[in-house]
Amino acid sequence: MATRLDENWNRLSDYVHKVIRKLERKNITHAEAFLTSTQTTEVTIRNSEILTQNKANDSGVGFRVAVDGDKVGFACTNTLNEKAVFEAGEKAFAIAKVSSRVPNFTLPQASQIEKVEGLFDSRVAETTVEETVEVANRAIDAAEGFDKRVIVKDGRVIYISGWRGIINTLGVDYEEKETKAMLYLGCGGKQNGEVTSSCYDLMLKRTANLEPETVGENVGKMVVGLFKPKTLPSFQGTVVFGPEAVSYQLCDVLIDALKGENIIARRSAWTEKIEQRVASENLTITDSATLKEGFASRSFDDEGCPSQNTVLIRKGKLENFLHHATSANTVKTANTSNASRFPGGLDMVRMIVGNGYRAKPEIYPSNLVIKLGNKSREELLSEIDRGVLIESMAGFAQEGSGVISAQLSRAFLIQGGEIQYPIKGGMVSGVAFDWFKQVSGVSNDSKQFLNSLVSSLRVEEVKVVSD
Amino acid sequence: MTTCTVKNGVIEEFSNVSLSGVGVRVLVNSKSWGFSSTNVLDSESAKQTLLDAVKLAKAASKLKKQKIKLEPVKRATADVILHAKKPLHDFSAEDIAKIPLEAYKGAKEAGPRVVDVKATYIGIEDDKYFLSTEGAHIHQNTTRVLLLVDAIAKSNDILCPASENLGHSGGLELFDKTSPYSMGKAVAEKAVSLLNAKAPPSGKFRVIVHPTLCATLLHEAIGHPLEADLAMSGGGFGDQIGELVSSKLVTIYDNGNVKSGLGYLPYDDEGIECKRTVLIENGILRSFMHDRTSAAVADVSPTGNAHAWDYSVEPLIRQTNIGIEAGDYSLEEMVEDVKEGLFLEGTFGGQADVNADFTFGFQSAKWIKNGELTKELRGANVAGNAIEVFKTIDAVGKEAILRPGACGKFQFAIQGRVVPAIRCEIMVGGMG
Repeated sequence: MATRLDENWNRLSDYVHKVIRKLERKNITHAEAFLTSTQTTEVTIRNSEILTQNKANDSGVGFRVAVDGDKVGFACTNTLNEKAVFEAGEKAFAIAKVSSRVPNFTLPQASQIEKVEGLFDSRVAETTVEETVEVANRAIDAAEGFDKRVIVKDGRVIYISGWRGIINTLGVDYEEKETKAMLYLGCGGKQNGEVTSSCYDLMLKRTANLEPETVGENVGKMVVGLFKPKTLPSFQGTVVFGPEAVSYQLCDVLIDALKGENIIARRSAWTEKIEQRVASENLTITDSATLKEGFASRSFDDEGCPSQNTVLIRKGKLENFLHHATSANTVKTANTSNASRFPGGLDMVRMIVGNGYRAKPEIYPSNLVIKLGNKSREELLSEIDRGVLIESMAGFAQEGSGVISAQLSRAFLIQGGEIQYPIKGGMVSGVAFDWFKQVSGVSNDSKQFLNSLVSSLRVEEVKVVSD
Repeated sequence: MTTCTVKNGVIEEFSNVSLSGVGVRVLVNSKSWGFSSTNVLDSESAKQTLLDAVKLAKAASKLKKQKIKLEPVKRATADVILHAKKPLHDFSAEDIAKIPLEAYKGAKEAGPRVVDVKATYIGIEDDKYFLSTEGAHIHQNTTRVLLLVDAIAKSNDILCPASENLGHSGGLELFDKTSPYSMGKAVAEKAVSLLNAKAPPSGKFRVIVHPTLCATLLHEAIGHPLEADLAMSGGGFGDQIGELVSSKLVTIYDNGNVKSGLGYLPYDDEGIECKRTVLIENGILRSFMHDRTSAAVADVSPTGNAHAWDYSVEPLIRQTNIGIEAGDYSLEEMVEDVKEGLFLEGTFGGQADVNADFTFGFQSAKWIKNGELTKELRGANVAGNAIEVFKTIDAVGKEAILRPGACGKFQFAIQGRVVPAIRCEIMVGGMG
């Protein structure tokens, strides 16, 4: 029996196909429709209990139409009737006529799609709100049961199931059903008037197999480890960046430098550095959209290019940049299938407009994967005479320059190969491009984030400034 | 919503975003809220959405420890229409495209070292209806316009970014005072001037925080801990109502009725009238920002701060137009009392914890030596605990400026900030 989600998808898909056929009869160069239909069940946690339970059904389509070769317009709608979908296609056409030229604009041609495994689990779609509430409560119990000093501040359990599809006038017509499950838990600690900073853990899955006990205990351990911090005098030396720190600030620098559009604008620090050494030999980084059960895996990107694995940096040497159809066409290179309608980052326009069918695609990684090293994290730490372990830092990288100056939010002094105490205050500052060259070790484990699968990185000669 | 992005002279994105839907929230057993939304606007789908919301609310009702006794509200009926002087529908698509194109042209005037310019126009027209079983029937029609300009200047391997945002509730009269051309030019000139600047030093300094950066500091690091939901989950202000929590020179308020502010909304999304709420008065904590639920828990009246970004998300406690009351100091007077310090300008955004720990990027700085502004320095980050930083404020500027702002607390929002310059002590994480 078709679900409400499937019914909405079939209706939308039918309208969109009709509109694409109508647009084909106009004087256009290309037309494209990106459509999604999703159902989200979400439970939010606040102050150790369930705050709200939400459910959202959302469907919509975004049209891109090119006229006179490369004048492009975009319009979208979430109104699920034939007239509104037709009007959105017409608006995109009308906007294209008054737009300016986008040099080298193109869309992918139809080609063979290989289905990536593990992107759909019917149990996610079937998860009830009662089961979602239970997962949230188990996470709360696990965190607060780990130690009495741990207080759950906030959290979310989210199950998403939906359809994603792309149709264009070059023969692309693909659709994919996918599911996602997410558990986020944030906690703080309190003891004798001492309050720790917030810690959080995240579990991202394509299946319904969220492990609330694991997440709860992880956060509990993090919080307990932060009591009685001490100020560290300013320091320059070996720093191990944990996966959380790597996935945010360091990956932001990587992504900024690897985006094809930044190469075209010559604002990437790695412009014209193909085949050159840009990082330590210890670093190999790929963009892997075909990773089984990968959180950002997909069989085709968001403009219909078949997914692939792209080696970006091999043993420190730069091999490829990230491209979508137009950027690849501009620099006459292969499309790396990195058109994304769900990019990360803090772009204000993107946040106002929204993701998915509401916006045109941008270049963004699928799963940015750091190749595992051959030593465990403990071994990497054990080799440090005196250093700092930075699990989490608050702050961000400056666009282009790779400059990072961030406040230490969960960091520890390492001495004699062992963790001594948590560090109070302080900032880490430096240029991430230099840090990539100074990587002396990569751990043999990794953690999945929204668009990355990353390990701990040991980096030499990093500056930490005391409060 | 219409957006038009010009990147390096090319209209990279020209979009029309047309969205509609309904969100239903129900409270069952005076304990548990359930929220459900749909974009399918027929009676069957609306009914199903209501049933879903009830089911969701019941799912956690038994587990709730505390009853929520909402304060009764007056039966509100209102039809609020913001009349723009230059309404968006009076302008053609070509007119709209000219706005970011002009900003780009201005930026290119700053010279060949400007390598990357992005200018985005956003025009939002919003029709919102709020109906409740308590008899509320509120219609609010608003128009908001923003222009965002980013520029990057390059010399050899050095890249320097600069950016500025302009925005208000209203129409295209936004550009009567500041033209897109002049805004683009100013941003790019800033990026170019920073190419020759050095990095700022590291350490704790006496600084003057320009309103452009003060807006971020106020919203992120002081504003969030003043939101009751975050305060109740261990926020930095705890339960210190009536206590001195800041410098006596500081009075902070939130006001949804600042008409040109991006957070202008006479009613919140629980049907409560938005008023001016004094949060900190001469350094003393007076109130948090509340929705009806947090107000019931704290046994106070709601303050009109429950807002949802759109129909698909539940209302949350959000700032509207948060502000610091202007003080007595001119910028010159603030500078002349500083022997050695920094004047920090512009923001690259930032993040803050509920305990008020923050890290923000500033775009540029000027070194202050013996009461005078001297060499220009590049941007870096500042960090610390905002409550501690606000205790060190010893001067507040006499001109409060309305700034556009954005917030990503669980869901997106655009808001206003009304901020003067402040002088305080802060930790700078520079590279110099």
